[in-house]
Amino acid sequence: MSSIDVSDERKVKKRILNSSIEDKRLHWSRLHRFKTTHRLYIYLMGSLAILQLIAIAFFSKGFLLTRSVLENVATEAHVEPKFDKCVILIIDALRFDFTIPVDPHEVGYNPNHHNNLEVFNTHRDSDSSLLLKFIADPPTTTLQRLKGLATGSLPTFIDAGSNFDGSVIDEDNFIKQMFLRNKTIYFAGDDTWDALFNPFLSPLSKPFESLNVWDLDTVDNGVMNYFEEHLFNQNSSSGDWDILIGHMLGIDHVGHKYGPNHFTMKEKQVQANEFIEKIRNQIDEDTLLLVMSDHGMDHTGNHGGDSKSELEAALWLYSKKPNMWNHLSPSHYNTSFLGENYRDVNQIDLVSTLSLLLGLPISFNNLGWPIEEIATTAEEAKLFHEITLNQIKRYKEVSQVITNLDKEEHLQELWAKALINTSAASEYQRYFLESCKDLWARFDYWSIGTGMFLLASSLVLLIIITKLIPSIVIGQMVSEFVPTITIMTLVSNVCFNGIFHVLHQPLFLENWFWCSLFATGVGIIVGCFLTIFDRYTTAWICRKFVEDLSDYWSRIAALFITLHAVLFTSNSFTIWEDKIVSFLLATLGMLTLYEFVFLPKRRLTTALLAAAMGEKKTSLQKKQPLDTESSPLGKFARLVGGYHSIVLIVCTRLSSMITICREEQGEFCTPTFTTANNYSYWCLLLCLIVIAFLPSCFKGYYNICSSYQAAAPIWIGQFLRWVLLTNFAYWTICAMENTIPDWSWDLKILKLTISRIVAGFSLIAANVGWMMGPLCLKLNIHNNDVRSQQATILGYANVYGSQFFLLVINFFMCIMLFNKPLAQISLFLMCNQLLSILEIFDLLKLKENLIGPVSMGLLAYQQFFSTGHQATIPAVQWDVGFVLTERITFPFTHLGIVMNTFGPHIIVALSVALLTLWRQPPTVLKPQTLLARVVSNCGMLLIYNTVLCLSSFVWVTHFRRHLMVWKIFCPRFMLASLSLIVLQVIITLITIAFASGRLIRQINNLFWT
Amino acid sequence: MPVKKRALPKKSVSFSDDETLTKSRRSGDKNHSQIHDGPPIYVKRTIKTVPVHLLALLYYYIKLSHNFDAVTLLYMLIPLQLAYLTLQFNANTVYGHKILRLRMSLIPISLGAALVLTVPCMLIIILLGAPIAMLLRETWILSAHYCVLGLPAIYSIFKCNFKVGIFKKYFIAVAVGCWISCVMIPLDWDRDWQNWPTPLIMGAYVGAFVGYSIGSYI
Repeated sequence: MSSIDVSDERKVKKRILNSSIEDKRLHWSRLHRFKTTHRLYIYLMGSLAILQLIAIAFFSKGFLLTRSVLENVATEAHVEPKFDKCVILIIDALRFDFTIPVDPHEVGYNPNHHNNLEVFNTHRDSDSSLLLKFIADPPTTTLQRLKGLATGSLPTFIDAGSNFDGSVIDEDNFIKQMFLRNKTIYFAGDDTWDALFNPFLSPLSKPFESLNVWDLDTVDNGVMNYFEEHLFNQNSSSGDWDILIGHMLGIDHVGHKYGPNHFTMKEKQVQANEFIEKIRNQIDEDTLLLVMSDHGMDHTGNHGGDSKSELEAALWLYSKKPNMWNHLSPSHYNTSFLGENYRDVNQIDLVSTLSLLLGLPISFNNLGWPIEEIATTAEEAKLFHEITLNQIKRYKEVSQVITNLDKEEHLQELWAKALINTSAASEYQRYFLESCKDLWARFDYWSIGTGMFLLASSLVLLIIITKLIPSIVIGQMVSEFVPTITIMTLVSNVCFNGIFHVLHQPLFLENWFWCSLFATGVGIIVGCFLTIFDRYTTAWICRKFVEDLSDYWSRIAALFITLHAVLFTSNSFTIWEDKIVSFLLATLGMLTLYEFVFLPKRRLTTALLAAAMGEKKTSLQKKQPLDTESSPLGKFARLVGGYHSIVLIVCTRLSSMITICREEQGEFCTPTFTTANNYSYWCLLLCLIVIAFLPSCFKGYYNICSSYQAAAPIWIGQFLRWVLLTNFAYWTICAMENTIPDWSWDLKILKLTISRIVAGFSLIAANVGWMMGPLCLKLNIHNNDVRSQQATILGYANVYGSQFFLLVINFFMCIMLFNKPLAQISLFLMCNQLLSILEIFDLLKLKENLIGPVSMGLLAYQQFFSTGHQATIPAVQWDVGFVLTERITFPFTHLGIVMNTFGPHIIVALSVALLTLWRQPPTVLKPQTLLARVVSNCGMLLIYNTVLCLSSFVWVTHFRRHLMVWKIFCPRFMLASLSLIVLQVIITLITIAFASGRLIRQINNLFWT
Repeated sequence: MPVKKRALPKKSVSFSDDETLTKSRRSGDKNHSQIHDGPPIYVKRTIKTVPVHLLALLYYYIKLSHNFDAVTLLYMLIPLQLAYLTLQFNANTVYGHKILRLRMSLIPISLGAALVLTVPCMLIIILLGAPIAMLLRETWILSAHYCVLGLPAIYSIFKCNFKVGIFKKYFIAVAVGCWISCVMIPLDWDRDWQNWPTPLIMGAYVGAFVGYSIGSYI
């Protein structure tokens, strides 16, 4: 096919252009200039991309608390157990002041939640009873707290371990230790336990659904019946268990539903009181009773944050053996002022305490210190301290968490002290714990601030460089930008690294790597601003900014961006983002439809504005066609435009019906993107129809400007059709395996073969083919007499767009492979939406307007949601990682997941250049101008996504102690960051560097003037 | 008043409300524009057009009605809108320097037109994201409210033989009201007024109130 092209090229050159040597030289010098400019453009955009990457890296470093999980398990126990059995009762959200006697005259006294739980205080003297304030570490959510209680460590948002979905605990914990010592663990209550400890619990355990906060009784009654059966019932073999665990949610749910001051709270507390009393009566002398809560509640009854009332929980240790606890002096247990000065212990202290009491080895990664009162004699205390100290030291040495040299030294000193005097040993633990908290539990506000600052600067730079400064000027300025950026980056690297090396300032940078990143970011910012302020003033930039937003469509675009960015201010809007985005896109369709139907005046002014601004330099012969084009749309154009608007609206509505609902959307959303639907016959049938229709659709869009010539039929009619068919075969096999119950053939090899062929063809072979320059042109000589020098070139009007779209098709084929059948239908609709958007903005002469890239960005998000994704971690379709390989292999698994998750973003990032190139006839614009316009539109898409990313940065930081931060805001921030990175990479490397440059060069070689 | 007529035997209509555009467009073709630059039709700039009854209805809907009963509201709206049309809107609309009396025969026609318009209106609402299969009745009631709120404008359009686009803005005002009020739906406040389509009806009323009050100034 390429030979045809070459001959075509020659013919075209020979026939159409009567070139002189002078012209040729002019052309070559121009092309050379273009090559240089193009390279500088790549460098400029690349450095902005690096700046954004650095910004995201800094923010993530500060915000995403990570901790690597070690799977080591402690093995040796050096103590005799004091108890054989243990009953653990967890009462969710039992705040400390609920458990102590409160004087009714005290400030803050409320009869509905005070003095109802007498059981903790009536047995003070007779038996061994110990009530303590139990301080939780934020975040005070049940999952994180249970992890903390069981492991004795500080759970973070990402406990990077071997299993990804974060269900079963990897780390050593006391439940696992009990299990390894062949103890039988019975459990009833909150099903979070089942998720975390499933392998260790007895199969007779009864987990209950915990998410429905309106249900006050199911879990509690379940726990009580379970205890009735296994503890109170004398007839049954109550010796079956060694550990009996109950987790009650009633008080927590009353708090969420009514708040702590409601009378229902009293009922629930009285009920719990009776239940504990009953357990207390029942247990024998060898059994330890442990009642505790995982967190408190604030005055509204909610929890999750780090306020005092949320952190203060209660812990009650009880045994019928007398004198088990060695109480400190009574002043430590002062219950006045709602127990303000009462003795407190940390929740992580539970693991060491419990392990010592039950004779278990202390969990490998424990950071806590045994509660002093459990040691009855001084020798025992010494032994306990030694054991714990050794365990902590071992953990420190194996994990290598302390990297800071000062801290390491200080710890060495404390260790030496502790060896001499064991009573000073807790100093060591305390200091080590503080150091770990700094690493894992505290947001690093300096890094967060730096990330925000760098991203905000990159946003300002993107706006100024790609939108405010006229694209033609930027073309001349790149040669100034690049050296300045390079020099400033070097200078600032030298300065910062020097200062950091000598003075160790600024402290938050930690090591030379982060220091270099920071210095590079600052260097890029300074370099860009220096070049900009060399030519322009702030006042000019502000004026231009306001001016740019002065026309109707730009304002609409700004409105959409603002609305989308404002969504992150509320969890409800973030939850419903999928619907809101498709609502906005449909609104856009309605607006363009209105435009085509009623033709208000503004269209004219915008077009004139664009025409006047675009080429001040590029002469008169261009103005002519633009002027004639910008006269009111003809009847036919309006009809076509209306049709495309309707296509856009209808496709948006149809694809938005495909959804995988988030958990929080609840009853208001019915998931359609289910396995059953994906592999159903009707869905496969629809896929088949899509395969038949998609090439015809493309053909239709190509035929509008008769560019379905030469390469296009090969690409669309052959490649696309066959790849889609192969792809269909792949997914049919998957569906068969899923739906037919006694499917016995092992088609793994066949599946892998198919998928590798498709991926290899679409990503490598097709792209190499594209590099050869497939033209969609045809010379039509038949309608002219032979001697004439005239010939019609079919597809002339869309010579850029038609060729560029073939590249989009390459990626599209690959993305189709990594999407499930319903998502493939959605992507089919996306192609129609995309091409309709291109046609609409071409008809409206809005190629340079903000609205084009913004609508593309909206389209990417709308399709992200309708291809079965949500901004949550469980919604990631991990299974497509195994399309190309059987087990996790570095690039292939990741490629699959990225192609699946960011498919729509990738397509949009490529086709944003089409806004300029679609229906762009050659020889109208200079190559530099064309490239500048492509970059400007790419820049707008980046601006849109940067605004979203920045907004998510700001709001996730603002809501860092919000109840829903890890479920809603943080995943959304991760999505925003990742999609920005993907867009940056695709736009810089493929759209601008690879595709646009090649295409523009080739076409200009062909039609050089 | 820009009235556009092409040189075709069939009459075609544009609701374009802009003079400059039409003039610049017609600059080469003056005959046409002269012929069809009919007498000006406009709504007087006066506070007499403020639709107070909409506020009253909104108050009734929010505070008094049982369970946000949109059907009763619709029954109340129709006569009040007709009264508003007669006494306020039509009384302040100037057709070529004079105020015409209400033509009774047009009222059932425009009511019928409103009824017919509910169907495309409903279609648009569904395309913008309303549920497709469920809650169709509620969606229809919403579009009925929308069309009845636009009734004075519909009447006026009939009255001036579709030649004028100035009444378009009243529809736009109601639509914008609806569009903005969608903000309320996703919020997780669990209030019964967040149910479909209550917030949109309220938004439509507010939009209509604003539109009819300041429509003549735009």
